[in-house]
Amino acid sequence: MILRKSSPRKDKKKLLQLTVQDITLIGMMVAVIEVCKMAMTFLPNIELTTFWVIMFTLFFGWKIIFVIPVFILIEAAIYPFGLWLLMYLYTWPLLALITHLLRKIDSVWIWSMISAAFGLSFGLLCAIPYVFINAPGGDLRAGVSAAFAWWIAGIPWDITHGVANFVLMLVLYYPVRKIMNMVKRNLGR
Amino acid sequence: MTEGKKQKVTGKQGAWKIGLGVLALVVVVGFMALLYAKFSAKPVEGSKEITIEVVDNEKKSTVYELKTDAEYLRQAMEEAEGLTFEGEEGQYGLSISIVNGLRADYTLDGAYWSFYVNDEYCNYGVDTQPVTDGDAFKIEYTAAQ
Repeated sequence: MILRKSSPRKDKKKLLQLTVQDITLIGMMVAVIEVCKMAMTFLPNIELTTFWVIMFTLFFGWKIIFVIPVFILIEAAIYPFGLWLLMYLYTWPLLALITHLLRKIDSVWIWSMISAAFGLSFGLLCAIPYVFINAPGGDLRAGVSAAFAWWIAGIPWDITHGVANFVLMLVLYYPVRKIMNMVKRNLGR
Repeated sequence: MTEGKKQKVTGKQGAWKIGLGVLALVVVVGFMALLYAKFSAKPVEGSKEITIEVVDNEKKSTVYELKTDAEYLRQAMEEAEGLTFEGEEGQYGLSISIVNGLRADYTLDGAYWSFYVNDEYCNYGVDTQPVTDGDAFKIEYTAAQ
């Protein structure tokens, strides 16, 4: 694994100076996420987006800040606008943030558990907007009740999501990490 | 990966922590399954009187009143005389794109069919949306914004 020490000032400077290589890399990351998502649409709630968001955050750090919005924009161009768009705006950045905070952990088991926890809680996270949408005149109790009903209806899919995330991370973490180390070495960073 | 010292989770203590973590996940899954079993909408056996309203792209409404033993919406829709629908079997069950000959396919028409039960958006697909006595379903042509 490549370990690189860098100062926050250097990182800040880099964030402001996107190179052609950075833009290319960001495009490649978005393409990988989108292609995997499309290829797996026939499987209910089984996706590799969680896996890639975690791996890209671990390996390419701040670039994920650009990857997630572009990914969401592409999704918005493909699927009808809806509440899901709002949900994506906070769920995927939240995953990237958690990953960034725990980036020093190097355990396939821990990352598998984090992936599983994210999958299991995805429905609950996505239920948040329903609290406010279904709260006429600020009646939060009605909103919570509607959001709860919505979350409950999706629990079988959340369980599928969580279990699949766990297995996918467990199986793919080491092989993909090996390849990404190689890519990073070739990129010279 | 990025800078800093990696924290490897190894050794007996690490194995314990991992074991506990996996166990916690299993407990969470079990708890969620229990919640689903207790609180999810359940179908009702026996005869029910329901209405299914179809609102087309010109806001024209057609109401179907029926007595049915159907436990789920799809079966009730099949029983409603004069109501026709088509769709594709997908990962979440039947995805309806044509109702009474009118197509609402997002890719082709920029529209879709919205399903409501008692004026609330259906949380379930037609295959799993339970039917209870007195339910008023609405299937509405919705243009994407």
